[in-house]
Amino acid sequence: MPQQDSTVELLTGKDSVGKKSKIPARLDLLQSATGLILSFFIIFHIVFESSILFGKAAMYRLTKIFEGEPFIEGGEPLIISALAFGIFVIFIFHALLAMRKFPSSYKEYQRYRTQSKMLKHSDTNLWFIQITTGFVMMFLGSIHLYTMMTQPENIGPYASSDRIYSDIAWPMYLILLISVVLHTGVGVYRLIIKWGWFDGSNPRANRIRSKKIIQAVVVVYLVLGLLSLGTYMKIGYDHQEEYGNRYSEVHK
Amino acid sequence: MKIVYTDALIVGGGLAGLRSAIATREKGLDTIVISMVPVKRSHSAAAQGGMQASLGNAVMGEGDNEDVHFADTVKGSDWGCDQNVARMFVTTAPKAIRELAAWGVPWNRIGKGPREVIINGEKETIVEKDEAHGLINARDFGGTKKWRTCYTSDATGHTMLYAVANEALRRNVEIHDKKEAISIIHENGICGGVVARDLISGELIAYIAKGTMIATGGYGRIYKQSTNAIICKGVGVAIALETGIVQLGNMEAVQFHPTPIVPSGILLTEGCRGDGGVLRDKDGYRFMPDYEPEKKELASRDVVSRRMIEHIRKGKGVKSPYGDHLWLDISILGREHIEKNLHDVQDISKTFNGIDPADEGEKGWMPVLPMQHYSMGGIRVKPTGESTTMKGLFCSGEAACWDLHGFNRLGGNSVSEAVVAGMIVGEYFASYCKETHLTTNTFTIQKFLEVQKAYLQEILSYDGGKNIFDIKDRMRIIMQEKVGVFRNGKDLSDAVDELEDLLKMVKEITVTDKALCINPELNEAYRVTKMLKLALCVSKGALERTESRGAHFREDYTKRDDENWLNRTITTWTDPNDTMPTLSYEEIDISKMEMPPAFRGYGKKGAIMSNPLSEIREEEITKIKETLGKVDRFTTQEALLDFDLPKEYKRKNERMGVGYD
Amino acid sequence: MIDQENQEVSNEEEFRKIEITVFRYNPQNSNTKPEYQTYTLEETPGMTLYIALIKIWSTMDHNISFDFVCRAGICGSCSMVVNGKPRLACKTRTSEFEDGKITLLPLPTFKHIKDLSVDTGNWMNAMSKKVESWIHAKEETDITAIEKPVEPDVAQAVFELDRCIECGICLAACSTKIMKEDFVGAVGLNRTARFAIDPHDERSDEDFYELIGDDNGVFGCMSLMGCEDHCPKDLPLQTKIAYMRRKMVKM
Ligand SMILES: Cc1cc2nc3c(=O)[nH]c(=O)nc-3n(C[C@H](O)[C@H](O)[C@H](O)COP(=O)(O)OP(=O)(O)OC[C@H]3O[C@@H](n4cnc5c(N)ncnc54)[C@H](O)[C@@H]3O)c2cc1C
Ligand code: HEM
Ligand code: HEM
Ligand code: SF4
Ligand code: F3S
Ligand code: FES
Repeated sequence: MPQQDSTVELLTGKDSVGKKSKIPARLDLLQSATGLILSFFIIFHIVFESSILFGKAAMYRLTKIFEGEPFIEGGEPLIISALAFGIFVIFIFHALLAMRKFPSSYKEYQRYRTQSKMLKHSDTNLWFIQITTGFVMMFLGSIHLYTMMTQPENIGPYASSDRIYSDIAWPMYLILLISVVLHTGVGVYRLIIKWGWFDGSNPRANRIRSKKIIQAVVVVYLVLGLLSLGTYMKIGYDHQEEYGNRYSEVHK
Repeated sequence: MKIVYTDALIVGGGLAGLRSAIATREKGLDTIVISMVPVKRSHSAAAQGGMQASLGNAVMGEGDNEDVHFADTVKGSDWGCDQNVARMFVTTAPKAIRELAAWGVPWNRIGKGPREVIINGEKETIVEKDEAHGLINARDFGGTKKWRTCYTSDATGHTMLYAVANEALRRNVEIHDKKEAISIIHENGICGGVVARDLISGELIAYIAKGTMIATGGYGRIYKQSTNAIICKGVGVAIALETGIVQLGNMEAVQFHPTPIVPSGILLTEGCRGDGGVLRDKDGYRFMPDYEPEKKELASRDVVSRRMIEHIRKGKGVKSPYGDHLWLDISILGREHIEKNLHDVQDISKTFNGIDPADEGEKGWMPVLPMQHYSMGGIRVKPTGESTTMKGLFCSGEAACWDLHGFNRLGGNSVSEAVVAGMIVGEYFASYCKETHLTTNTFTIQKFLEVQKAYLQEILSYDGGKNIFDIKDRMRIIMQEKVGVFRNGKDLSDAVDELEDLLKMVKEITVTDKALCINPELNEAYRVTKMLKLALCVSKGALERTESRGAHFREDYTKRDDENWLNRTITTWTDPNDTMPTLSYEEIDISKMEMPPAFRGYGKKGAIMSNPLSEIREEEITKIKETLGKVDRFTTQEALLDFDLPKEYKRKNERMGVGYD
Repeated sequence: MIDQENQEVSNEEEFRKIEITVFRYNPQNSNTKPEYQTYTLEETPGMTLYIALIKIWSTMDHNISFDFVCRAGICGSCSMVVNGKPRLACKTRTSEFEDGKITLLPLPTFKHIKDLSVDTGNWMNAMSKKVESWIHAKEETDITAIEKPVEPDVAQAVFELDRCIECGICLAACSTKIMKEDFVGAVGLNRTARFAIDPHDERSDEDFYELIGDDNGVFGCMSLMGCEDHCPKDLPLQTKIAYMRRKMVKM
């Protein structure tokens, strides 16, 4: 059998020169990196997607921009498909990495829950939010991304609203919204602590500050998301008679 | 019942025990350390103030060397120490601290240039030399000519213990914790090991070794009030006593500290008074100036302790559910000063008493009382650390009467002793183990195991209805009240009688739970019995010693009596059925002294009944010096007192500015 | 015979009653089941859990097991779970609990010995060996020569991290450790940081990676901060774990 590093590691826990595997370091970094990329994505996603608050036209324009209209006549929804696919890959990758940290058996889960309930410690409880929201997203996020990949053309003031209202996607979006905002908030807070980004001269005070700022941002995002979701529902409600019709700028 | 064989067995995992274990491992000996508690929890961890070693780096320590340290130690001991041992100690202490530095103890380091310090309550600026930058710093401690006490903030013992324990782990010293030695195995006057009890399973284990070392620390818990950890019960010393062969030395020499906080007994550093804090009584009156107009609160430890007790006896103590106490007031120093310089004191006072000492007026006063602090006495050993009467049994650290401290030890000299003895005695011990073969036969081992098993069963079978906790409390109160800071013939003889009664009374207890395994009440039953024996040694020794020397103060014999009492009290327990120790005395030979007895330089002048031999030796010394002519200090020293040291410990120590001179 | 309780009743003041509930279990005695036992006692001024438990032991229940050594917050023996939080019992005052009800449990994650007593010593020794918690230097030191100079600030920084008392509270407060048996915990990671900044230690980052570069080491930590928020010595665990992580991930 050829000398393979992975075989050596399997048997000895060290690589072929007798050093400890560097993989755990890579994985840890990747977990944070993917989390960070996704976080940036979500931060912008929710802002873009709340363009509906500025009216159908605004949302429509933005969608078109994403479809690459400035360069391609009429826009190309496949761009969105591709983007969604890219995000999906990162998303799955992040989820796989994060799953390493999940309790690996019911016994572990139970030990963790019992201890954390006893401890009543806020950051430990935040982690519970993180794994539950992550778990939820794994399903709902996948459905959503699948939709975006397969029906990129069905994005727009009316198409989206119909999906949300008439196709009854709103409960999913509501749960997804809450999950993603909380998960991102907690995740970013954890990144700051984990890598000591804003330690400054008084790390303890700055930790509290980071936490406060993030709490505020989370609230803003939740409000923003809920308002947009409401707006989509409103539009969808008004539009139910014309279900399936697409928004067009010429309408104006 | 289990038998474990090894080359070197060390009972006790404090600084002394662990440093000795390193010495034996360096010689390739299999070494087991057994300890009642995880070794890093040993009481050495509690030492706050520092470790003495004459480095002379700091500007206030300039000119310091072995000779100065030696003189301080001898005076401190009130000439009770063994000057040979003191020489061994001061020569090795600088090496010990440098070894510890290399092992990572983060000693506080000197920063060059000016800094502000408080000397006698006054702010002063001192300037550290450029070349001293980064070298080990030192602070001031009572009874020393130079600033010699090296430190890591308020956690000196902790950092030292961790460094030594980690080095021991590195060398694969086997550590068996939660094991308590309860008897020494010996045959034909040779020590074969110990019988230990597993404090979890209750199993009895015979640890058999070529050599055995006891390093079990002090026994302060025989007093009601003590700064010692609650495991400082002296079981290790007591089992040596119980052999009937091993001698204990100077058991009556017990040090008291003036300002532990009440009721917990946690030490508040001397710095409180050093910086200008004052003592007050129940009326808020500052009483020390009445007693000691000159030095007031800053008189030496034993003097302040005595005055405080005297004042309480006049009914001026503050009543509390924990007994009478006095107040320590540092609020007058101001919040800023306290928060900056006495932070730990504030922390202790806040956590343990809910008092913020920076609060102005009565609210910020901290309850204090003199309490037992250090045991100068212990297993009497030769300068090699081997018992004077039992081969193969070594002892080091606070458990030993190696006799570095005589009747009073200097602050900072005991963690230093623990490590230095670990090096020196550890080395002699290792050589002994190397040259010896295991001889103890299994029959003897079985016999000792059986005796202990039967003894524990006997305790469980007692059925007199009495309670071991009551006996213990009574003992501790007797010691506190009658064998305390002030001693007198009547109280002492009452104490001896009462303690003897208590010892007999142990047979009338009942232990509720009859389990042989983990059973904290059973533990207490045999420990208290051993403690009572030690308490008897202390009080009997104090009763017989009709003089005042160092920490031993007799109201009825207030003078130091060099003519009749320049000796060491030796205690043995000749028969297991005895209820009283047997005393004898070991002369301290003035004619071999490098520094014959004189006035200590502090305390009361003229309180000495001197020995004519002192003067003779003094003249002899002058003559020797004259004949030698102009030679270096090492040659003079050797001519006056020649001492041996193992390994390379006798080499000269380098110092800043003077090199190896 | 002197009666402790009487001695204290003789004091005129009235003190409130407190209730201390203790987890009782002796794994060695197959007849016993884990149970909770409640003791009611009078709270004296300045009472700590050490004083309270000693009182319970010497006057109410001679068979209760717990571990105290220094009773001054220095030795790390007395960690236990006090109303849910792992803390040093000797540094916990009973007056902190307004309703006067205190529940005591042994420290989780360590081997249970009996009642409130657990085995920390063997775990800590193994941890110390695992992270090679000692100075690694190539050359031997001449102990008669003047010591190697160290910047005062650096010595102070090492001291800050050397203050750990191996109390195990950071482990009991860490959900990662609760789930993953072999995690070295904040205590182990802090220890490596301590040696990493000590100028006497010549180990490279690569050497440290060999010790803690895996999911039982620094990459196992999920930044839950239970350690940081409960450490009785206030060690800067948050920043030191991050420091080691940054170092290790560069490998
Ligand atoms: C509050 C306080 C502050 C102090 N501050 C200073 C200071 O600043 N400077 C200074 O120089 N000195 C100081 N001292 C004194 C100094 O700390 C001790 O004298 C010294 O640490 C003793 O070390 P040791 O190794 O002899 O014993 P210890 O450290 O007490 O170790 C004893 C060991 O023996 C074990 N043991 C005991 N009995 C048994 C048994 N029967 N079987 C098995 N194992 C057993 C214990 O588990 C422990 O491991 C202070 C003391 C106190 C109380
Ligand atoms: C848009 C989606 C997501 C975003 C923005 C996001 C973001 C983040 C971030 C920033 C972190 C911190 C990374 C770190 O600690 O190194 C994180 C951690 C985590 N994520 Fe996500 N994540 C997303 C999706 C998911 C999904 C689908 C899962 C489901 C499995 C998941 C599970 C986790 C878990 C369990 C952690 C904690 C890991 C740990 O504590 O070490 N995440 N996430
Ligand atoms: C490139 C990939 C993505 C695209 C193109 C995209 C697009 C959209 C669009 C167009 C909407 C509006 C509703 C609709 O049309 O159905 C929407 C809503 C939403 N998306 Fe995405 N999305 C992407 C990835 C994600 C991911 C990874 C998540 C989180 C896991 C996410 C979470 C949400 C949520 C929560 C809403 C509802 C927001 C609200 O109601 O305010 N999206 N997304
Ligand atoms: S890091 Fe803190 S909590 Fe953990 S063992 Fe050390 S002192 Fe205890
Ligand atoms: S609580 Fe545990 S997960 Fe990390 S930050 Fe502390 S070690
Ligand atoms: S008993 Fe030592 S820390 Fe509590």
